[in-house]
Amino acid sequence: MAALSELINGFGTALTPQNLLYAFLGVLLGTAIGVLPGIGPAMTLALLLPLTYGLNPTSAFIMFAGIYYGGMYGGSTTSILLNTPGESASVVTAIEGNKMAKSGRAAQALATAAIGSFVAGTIGTLLVVVLAPTVVDLALKLGAPDFFAIMVLAFVAVTSVLGASRIRGFASLLIGLAIGLVGIDQVTGQQRLTYGVPQLADGIDVVVVAVGLFAVGEALWIAAHLRRGTAQVIPTGRARMGREDWARSWKPWLRGTALGFPFGAVPAGGAEVPTFLSYVTEKRLSKHKDEFGHGAIEGVAGPEATNNASAAGGLVPLLTLGLPTTATAAVLLAAFQQYGIQPGPLLLENEPELVWGLLASLFIGNVILLVLNLPLAPMWAKLLRIPRPYLYAGILFFASVGAYAVNASTVDLMVLLVLGSLGFLMRRYGLPVVPAVIGVILGPRAEVQMRRALQISDGELSGLITPFSAVIYALIALVLLWPLVNRFVIRRFRRPRHPVPVGHSHALVELADELAAPPGEERREEGDEKADEEPEHATADAPRRQT
Amino acid sequence: MISRVQRWGQGRSEFVVALLLLALGVLVLVDAARLPTTFTQRGPVGPTAVPVVVGVLLVVTAVLLGLDVLRGGHGEQESGEDVDLSHGSDWATMFLLALAFLANILLIERVGWPVSGAVLFFGSAYALGSRRIVRDVILSFALSIGTWYLFAEGLGINLPVGILKGIL
Amino acid sequence: MTIVVGYIPTPEGRAALAAAVEEALRRDESLLVLNASRGDAYVDPGFAPAEELESVRGQLSAARVGFDVRQLVRGKEPAEEVVQAAAEVGAELIVIGLRRRSAVGKLIMGSTAQRILLDAPCAVLAVKADAHHPAGERTRT
Repeated sequence: MAALSELINGFGTALTPQNLLYAFLGVLLGTAIGVLPGIGPAMTLALLLPLTYGLNPTSAFIMFAGIYYGGMYGGSTTSILLNTPGESASVVTAIEGNKMAKSGRAAQALATAAIGSFVAGTIGTLLVVVLAPTVVDLALKLGAPDFFAIMVLAFVAVTSVLGASRIRGFASLLIGLAIGLVGIDQVTGQQRLTYGVPQLADGIDVVVVAVGLFAVGEALWIAAHLRRGTAQVIPTGRARMGREDWARSWKPWLRGTALGFPFGAVPAGGAEVPTFLSYVTEKRLSKHKDEFGHGAIEGVAGPEATNNASAAGGLVPLLTLGLPTTATAAVLLAAFQQYGIQPGPLLLENEPELVWGLLASLFIGNVILLVLNLPLAPMWAKLLRIPRPYLYAGILFFASVGAYAVNASTVDLMVLLVLGSLGFLMRRYGLPVVPAVIGVILGPRAEVQMRRALQISDGELSGLITPFSAVIYALIALVLLWPLVNRFVIRRFRRPRHPVPVGHSHALVELADELAAPPGEERREEGDEKADEEPEHATADAPRRQT
Repeated sequence: MISRVQRWGQGRSEFVVALLLLALGVLVLVDAARLPTTFTQRGPVGPTAVPVVVGVLLVVTAVLLGLDVLRGGHGEQESGEDVDLSHGSDWATMFLLALAFLANILLIERVGWPVSGAVLFFGSAYALGSRRIVRDVILSFALSIGTWYLFAEGLGINLPVGILKGIL
Repeated sequence: MTIVVGYIPTPEGRAALAAAVEEALRRDESLLVLNASRGDAYVDPGFAPAEELESVRGQLSAARVGFDVRQLVRGKEPAEEVVQAAAEVGAELIVIGLRRRSAVGKLIMGSTAQRILLDAPCAVLAVKADAHHPAGERTRT
């Protein structure tokens, strides 16, 4: 298979001492920052982007690969080890992982998370290697109208599925599109929305947008609502697992991978829905059902694998079509654009060294992650002792230096502040941030495709329709009509069974919930359990009370 | 009683978003209007097409959002691991943070990053509640000088050096 | 009259508690056990989890000493909290655990013990974690 030989070449690129160092550094930084609560992988990547300016693209992306995977694992470490009173189920892994830790099985939880991530990451990356060339072959047959249709699908999907309020998701997308308009029109050279500020002629740098909306906005938001509380870290030794743990974990790892990868590869699939599905599936299939809610290892193994598989899956549309399916993928895309590289069907042809080097270093990054984190997990937890003022001051600090370094211009810093404030407002009023970032990044490209398509057809709208794009538009119609379907068909299903992170409940999750619970008796049982749970986790249809 | 007023007040503040969207939409449309569209442009769909669509959609969404707010809907404040939503926003902290950020913007090219960055970090940490002044000053300068070196030596990016020119 | 104990879930803290119990029994006074944290970090090793405080309460009841165990997370330094509590209840004695700190350590992390020694409104008993007598195991028979 040609892919395999290319991959081996990729290893050649990735296994140089210098690139290995970058991979190691990436994993280290990614995990360290991922451990800190409130900082997700997307923000980590955005903050660390400026660090890679001086590097050549291949090395930079190798480092990104490390940060990508490291960031996800760091988050799991925290959610498992933080001994906060009560439920801390903002991450699905934490539901069981934290309970395991509290009953003295932290090492096993950490181990199954690490190894599961490794397994899923490796299999996922293999799938990318196998699928990418095929998808690229298909993609090369697509024309401008098809690309335009796919991007519209991405827009629609990200606003309709993510977040509870579609109108707000749509508003967020429009804001992103508007920001993307700033600058010179690519086709005619006209300046748009620059209002006389020369530095804006090149448009607002995508990195500044990502850092502003994700990092600064998040920091400002958290700063305005800083929780004053502290906890202990559950002490643990090196992560390790016993034989029974292995026996109970390996199938959830595989099932998790199978669930996560497809979701990650689909626009707006993301990781939340599949990890939740994985949890529910594992609970359904487990021989130790009663342990769920008290520390069942399957409940950690499955979702962790799903998470990583979803991240790997996201790479397929990113590398082959230039289509980001998650916030993190969007930041990666921004990184590509930073180097003047346009991911898409031609990427594989034009920059094979970069792509295969990247894929090879994903494998390596996975290994480094495992090797680093099994023994070091307890150490990462020490990072949690940094007082919050330093953490968030640090975010603002690094965000500033990064934004300035892009163009050595204070205008970028002003833009950063404005976007940060925008990010704050969006979080305050429930506008999801991801559609905005996708709008900024994909908007200009979608426009180019649309105008190209219409140019060929001389302005006839039918120029946008081809067999492929017609299918896509049908899909879009389906996604748009889903809430009506939801209301009339699925309305019967009401309360979710499991603590659902507020803001993430939507039709699919409720559906998954219902699928997991066999009808009848379990319903009543769960209802009682619900009564003692903390009100933090609002059930999907409980009246949303806000002060 | 108080909470009902609060809720109405909050509902009212949601209009801010609708207003913002409206303003943005108008901004986009106004800008699109001033673009000259002559037939020399290539292709039937010119540079104004997308701005017009976006602008119109923004206005429409603003209206729809406003209606939604009137009907009692509101956006979900983003919750997170570290967010305590039971109180209102801590405006004092936000103001100080914005001040620190602005200070950096104004100072960075005048006195250089090592100083402006330190001001940014110290100001932010102070705004967020850290009161160990001496320790924070030292830490701030360590960070700003450290990053200066990191970027200059490690990455080849020269941040402005300002008044410390010659020393660094 | 009360004796205030600055408690942290470490050998030093437990040694302090043991010594405080002895003092309380000798002077026939009650104990105010204080576990304070600034609360501005996600993890504070000085923060005693609920189970630990429960076990402290159990210990103290077994020792038949009058006690009050409080946990304060109010954004103030632990030293401040201990001194303030001592002033409030008119304590005669503060008991704290002592840990060796290098000069650099003191510069970066500060010394709670030092602050308490200097600011205390009463006498202070500083106890080391004793290697020979496992902390927290002293009771009066």
